[in-house]
Amino acid sequence: MKGFLGKRAIASAISLVGLIILVFFLSRLTGDPTDLYLPLDASQEARENFRNIHGLNDPLMVQFGRFVGDLARLDFGMSIRRAEPALDAVLRGFAWTLQLAAITMVLVTLLAIVIGSLAAFRVGGLFDRLATFFSLIGASAPDFWIAIVAIVLFSVNLGWVPTSGTGTPWHWILPIGVLFIRPFGLILQVVRGSMISTLSSAYIKTARAKGVKNRPIIFVHALRNAMLPVITVIGDQAAGLLNGAVVVESIFGFPGVGKLMIDSILQRDFAVVLAAIMVTALAIFVMNLLIDVLYAVLDPRIRY
Amino acid sequence: MIRRTVCIAAAMLAAAGASQVAAQEDSITVVLSEELDIVDPCEASRSNVGRVVLQNIAETMTELVPGSGLQPRLAESWEDKGNGTWRFNLRSGVSFHDGTALDAADVAHSLERIKSEQISCEIGAKFFGGIDLTTNVVDDTTIEITADPAQPILPLLMSTVTVVPSETAMDSFVETPVGTGPYTFDEYARGQHIKLSLNPDYWGEEPAVRNATYVFRSDSAVRAAMVAAGEADIAPNIALQDASDASMDFSYPNSESVYMRPDTTMAPLDDIRVRQALNYAVDREAFVGTILADGTLLSTALVPPSTIGYNHDLEPYPFDLEKARALLEEARADGVPVDTEITLIGRTNNWGNVLETMEALLAMWQDAGFNMSLQMVEVAEWLEHYSNPFPEDRRPEIVAAQHDNANGDPVFSVFFKYASEGLQSAVRDPELDAMILDATTATGDEREAKWAELFKYIHTDKVYDVQLFHMVGFSRVNPRLDFTPTIRTNSELQLSQVSFN
Repeated sequence: MKGFLGKRAIASAISLVGLIILVFFLSRLTGDPTDLYLPLDASQEARENFRNIHGLNDPLMVQFGRFVGDLARLDFGMSIRRAEPALDAVLRGFAWTLQLAAITMVLVTLLAIVIGSLAAFRVGGLFDRLATFFSLIGASAPDFWIAIVAIVLFSVNLGWVPTSGTGTPWHWILPIGVLFIRPFGLILQVVRGSMISTLSSAYIKTARAKGVKNRPIIFVHALRNAMLPVITVIGDQAAGLLNGAVVVESIFGFPGVGKLMIDSILQRDFAVVLAAIMVTALAIFVMNLLIDVLYAVLDPRIRY
Repeated sequence: MIRRTVCIAAAMLAAAGASQVAAQEDSITVVLSEELDIVDPCEASRSNVGRVVLQNIAETMTELVPGSGLQPRLAESWEDKGNGTWRFNLRSGVSFHDGTALDAADVAHSLERIKSEQISCEIGAKFFGGIDLTTNVVDDTTIEITADPAQPILPLLMSTVTVVPSETAMDSFVETPVGTGPYTFDEYARGQHIKLSLNPDYWGEEPAVRNATYVFRSDSAVRAAMVAAGEADIAPNIALQDASDASMDFSYPNSESVYMRPDTTMAPLDDIRVRQALNYAVDREAFVGTILADGTLLSTALVPPSTIGYNHDLEPYPFDLEKARALLEEARADGVPVDTEITLIGRTNNWGNVLETMEALLAMWQDAGFNMSLQMVEVAEWLEHYSNPFPEDRRPEIVAAQHDNANGDPVFSVFFKYASEGLQSAVRDPELDAMILDATTATGDEREAKWAELFKYIHTDKVYDVQLFHMVGFSRVNPRLDFTPTIRTNSELQLSQVSFN
């Protein structure tokens, strides 16, 4: 296992370096942040000063060398749009996104496993219908539409929860609710499909023949074996949320890393973009490692 | 024992609730469209920064008041000493939030700071580009400011300069702005909110609002919903489609003017008949109340009608398709290459329904016989078309632009947009250059007349552009407030002008 983890770490580090080089040069291809930072009426002289101060007049390779040197000291530089180090802004945003993603994924996983298993046990029953409904909503309704409808219904008309923002536990209900729907529908379908396949296997039939009750059959014998494909999908969905639930963060005024990254790309705040990519890539790398470990825990036949 | 504990807890809860209600009665929440990246007073000319900082935290020497003109603020009076020098007499007894007294050295420092190369302040770049400023501190309350080249409107320009203490760093933006204004900057929880509270030592009248919280929501529907749900009191900027409640929503002239700028240095757009045809081919009135909001005004210049020198005698070009076609034919007969393809350049998200506006314009111009195509680009690419120097190998283009001038004088616009050396000018006309210089250095009634003449020259005599609309903005205001948005709401939101019904 240690050897496997070491190999994965090296492979991920190589991918990360490649990603950083790619993002550094691609982001520079999008143009000069001077045009966006200074007002339209700014003189050529002011633009030249800005470029000189931020090193934008230097050759690209000189800028890259400076960036790599700073990176070796974990210094991503100062944000040109914010009066603070880029990494501070990113870590602050990432903490919000991590909380949002973690709570959402825990709820999604628990409910999807329970409802998906019950749906598989009785195809066409109540839980199966629920699974189909949520899968359809998750696949067809866009996040921003659900978010706006939820705000109008639950906040403006009913006054049950705040429209947006942070501050109290009530503020988390709508963003989590909206984020919940898409991965829930998807994971629910995977759990259902995987469970239907597992429940029809020979060892389950043997257990039934021996008189084992339904609950242990579903949640003890079948679930563990049905979980491998489910974990892959959960990992995928969680990675998506860690990258930042941009739409939900924007609409609900959640100060997460996804919104920060999009704003920084639009503003060509290169330092923040690179810091955000580094932090989220590292988080996804750690999460993938955890999933690999979880495979081995769930299925003793898997050995690295 | 249990009963007593419950009673105490209930009393404490009631007290907490009461204090919360009391706190809310004189507190307001403002919901802005974007989080503030920088809160430095020298960036206060940016709309959302201005709505927090300008005149709330940091004040200016003079203030442009809609309907009343230029008024004193930190300067009590000013006089022209000649040769580009103006003397300003400061109000005495004014102190900054850090307790230090306001003096002339602070004003000198603030002027030097907005021009600091190390921080590239927007106020310096936007209003003082190409102007050298020197200061002479006569005494604690008197300062002489010399501008080179001379600026007859220096007192007006001073309405843009936020005054900060001499101790403010020259090489970095501040994170906690300090000024002389009626509110102190108490807290900035990044990504969440900004909090201001009443400055107990303020030199002026005590405002009704004691505390203000600013929150940030990028979606207009959410900003409108927050006011509707009572979570916010003012949303200074909401979209047309969200301004659906007449009891809460206000429209106001937002000082933005939309115009189309043809490249008059290239054929066929260098021919006046072609530019006249562009103007006659547009049915401007068809846009109002359909693609654009009711209340949008047809324009004849790129500054709002409240600007001095706005020529109220000019009429927008009427929609006359036959005349447009005839003018094009006349130009064609004289050998003007009117069939050359012209690219219409629009900027995504420049204003509400910009794509629909551009598509409608394209259809109207194609209908008149122009060979034209539309290209919508994002801001950075658009700037490459809009700002000088233009590429040598360019094709004939018309660039759509929206310009904001809420500062009361055309000088903030005309040089940049029409002078041969102007950064966003596609006009090369020495006669117009001379007129701009003449009007810029004139004062009083003469200045007003010269600007009016200049606008006629641009709009009627030479037809250098296609003026379209003075736009309106929408604000949603909680009915518990007594506050009416004005043209200034586009760039500032003075909490001291808000009271409660």
